[in-house]
Amino acid sequence: MKKVFVIGLDCAEPTLVFEQWREHLPNLGRLMDSGTYGDLTSTIPAITVPAWASMMSSRDPGQLGFYGFRNRADYSYERMSIATSQAVKVDRVWDILSRAGKQVIVAGVPQTYPVKPVNGYLISSFLTPSTLSQYTHPASLKHEISSLIDGEYMLDVYQFRTENKDHLLEQIYQMADQHHKLIMHLMTTKPWDFFMHVDMGVDRIHHGFWKYFDKRHPQYEPGNPFENAIRDYYIHLDQQIGERLELLDDDTAVLVVSDHGSQPMMGGICFNEWLMQEGYLTLEYQPEGIVPLEKCEVDWGKTLAWGSGGYYARLFLNVKGREPNGVIDPADYERVRDELIERIAAITDPEGVNIGSVAHRPEEIYQEVNNIAPDLIVYLGNLRWRSVGSLGLNRIHTFENDTGPDDANHSQEGMYIYNDPEVQGRGRGPKRHLMDVAPTILALMGVPNPGDMQGGSFAG
Amino acid sequence: MEQKGVTIWFTGMSGTGKTALAIRLEEELRGRGLKVERLDGDIVRQSLTRDLGFSKEDRDKNIERVTFVAKLLTRNGVAVLCSFISPYRRVRANVRREVENFVEVYCHAPLETLIERDVKGLYKKAIAGEIENFTGISDPYEVPESPEVMIDSSTETVEESLARVLGTLEALGYVPSVGQETVYSADEEAEIEARLAALGYL
Repeated sequence: MKKVFVIGLDCAEPTLVFEQWREHLPNLGRLMDSGTYGDLTSTIPAITVPAWASMMSSRDPGQLGFYGFRNRADYSYERMSIATSQAVKVDRVWDILSRAGKQVIVAGVPQTYPVKPVNGYLISSFLTPSTLSQYTHPASLKHEISSLIDGEYMLDVYQFRTENKDHLLEQIYQMADQHHKLIMHLMTTKPWDFFMHVDMGVDRIHHGFWKYFDKRHPQYEPGNPFENAIRDYYIHLDQQIGERLELLDDDTAVLVVSDHGSQPMMGGICFNEWLMQEGYLTLEYQPEGIVPLEKCEVDWGKTLAWGSGGYYARLFLNVKGREPNGVIDPADYERVRDELIERIAAITDPEGVNIGSVAHRPEEIYQEVNNIAPDLIVYLGNLRWRSVGSLGLNRIHTFENDTGPDDANHSQEGMYIYNDPEVQGRGRGPKRHLMDVAPTILALMGVPNPGDMQGGSFAG
Repeated sequence: MEQKGVTIWFTGMSGTGKTALAIRLEEELRGRGLKVERLDGDIVRQSLTRDLGFSKEDRDKNIERVTFVAKLLTRNGVAVLCSFISPYRRVRANVRREVENFVEVYCHAPLETLIERDVKGLYKKAIAGEIENFTGISDPYEVPESPEVMIDSSTETVEESLARVLGTLEALGYVPSVGQETVYSADEEAEIEARLAALGYL
């Protein structure tokens, strides 16, 4: 039976790995040359949570019942809950493998805190409060990590919103190097049949440094000191990947995957400002300064819709009998929603050029809709523009994030590289969906598929 | 949800906080409507095993009798909280084998801290040679290799330890979840949200 080694690179952009920097990435290149690689379509929304959970369970976000990091806990206007591992009510691939007696090592995969027991080892990811928390299974692994790593184990880069880009870069490398040391240690000292690690540094460096290298970015300036920062990080990771690959035998299949891709961020749409302009959102009074919606006095009796900020926008409707001060009659729900879809599609940039926004109805994109989904999932500029939820800017467009600078947004296509030493690779292969990854892992390891996964295996 | 019986075994040297944590857990579980029984080393030794001493043989017998009771209660749907030093791995492994639903909570604090705390005045006596077979001083404590939860009472509060034990019990399906409150404290949740906002996710 095969072993499977999964290299997760959060936000890794296929065009950079497959084309632009391929010649600089010899180890990933070797995997591509003798394997099969292509685009890996992400979830809608294309964001770390729910994408990794969707990938590892082969269930869409609607089935999973969470649509982002933070979700409405009920139909009140305020209560939100963070989607931790407790929100994942279905098996992920390592749960199935554990029950089948396979030894698993799962490190840094998003949405694994609080930790749950596995047949092997698990180290949680960046939704962990701190290393004082129980972030490993078994509990004793935490102390093994402390002995191995200099300083504190980095669950994420800290102080991400900084203009001190040198310091941010240093942290990203420090995290990668620390995690690499741990991975090498685990690979060589613990038994495993399935090994998966997700590097979050790729996502962090994209968001922090994209404008410095991508000529398409509105704020790109040639000759800046960080022009090669992202490329050099990919090279660094490729070297580390090479060291890990040397430890693998011919019975091990390798998957390199990302949960979504990346693209330059053109700017931000102040979504709630836009809703106010369009007459859907009313405040009791204008805030002083730039204020998150949660801190504004919303006149709910005159508000039909409100939105949230992030890499994509979520829109919620204020429905009678559903929300506490709902105003939309249920009979008018679809009409209002249709109207908003049309108006969102007509959003333009400051020059009046349509930015190509798309609003998705959850029931049209998911097999089922569990818990409380947004009424619309909105891709502003098809993810080229982020959503800014704060009010007080008094304009629709902004080129500064309400929480600080951000250079990149996500794109719908991530990447996969599938390399099985016993299978002839096909080179550039078909586009797959990330829900195909879990069935592929099970097929490779000869473990029965539960039968209700949405994706299909591309093994063989 | 029908209550699934479980034995939660708190092991660790004297003074590491096993009983304090078990008492808090008992309160919390009763508050959630669960049937709970607590078997504490100090109390059991005054009744069920009052004929036993602290030689290795007697320690083994002590745990054997407690295991019998815990197994009985667990299979009748009770959450059994056992706080015993139980210093030997082989013996703890035996409890795990006997009781199908078993969660081991290793309670730790550095020996220097325990000696300094000396909650019951026993470390001083043991160091002076007045008590024989005292775990950590004249008898060994074999650290668990794979406990489900490990707490360190020298670096965390009882409430923090409680949250982690509860998180594990919820994750394993022994205790119904009451939602996000048991994953993050209010401060932790605020910190995580701030971090997510700074990363651009919110």
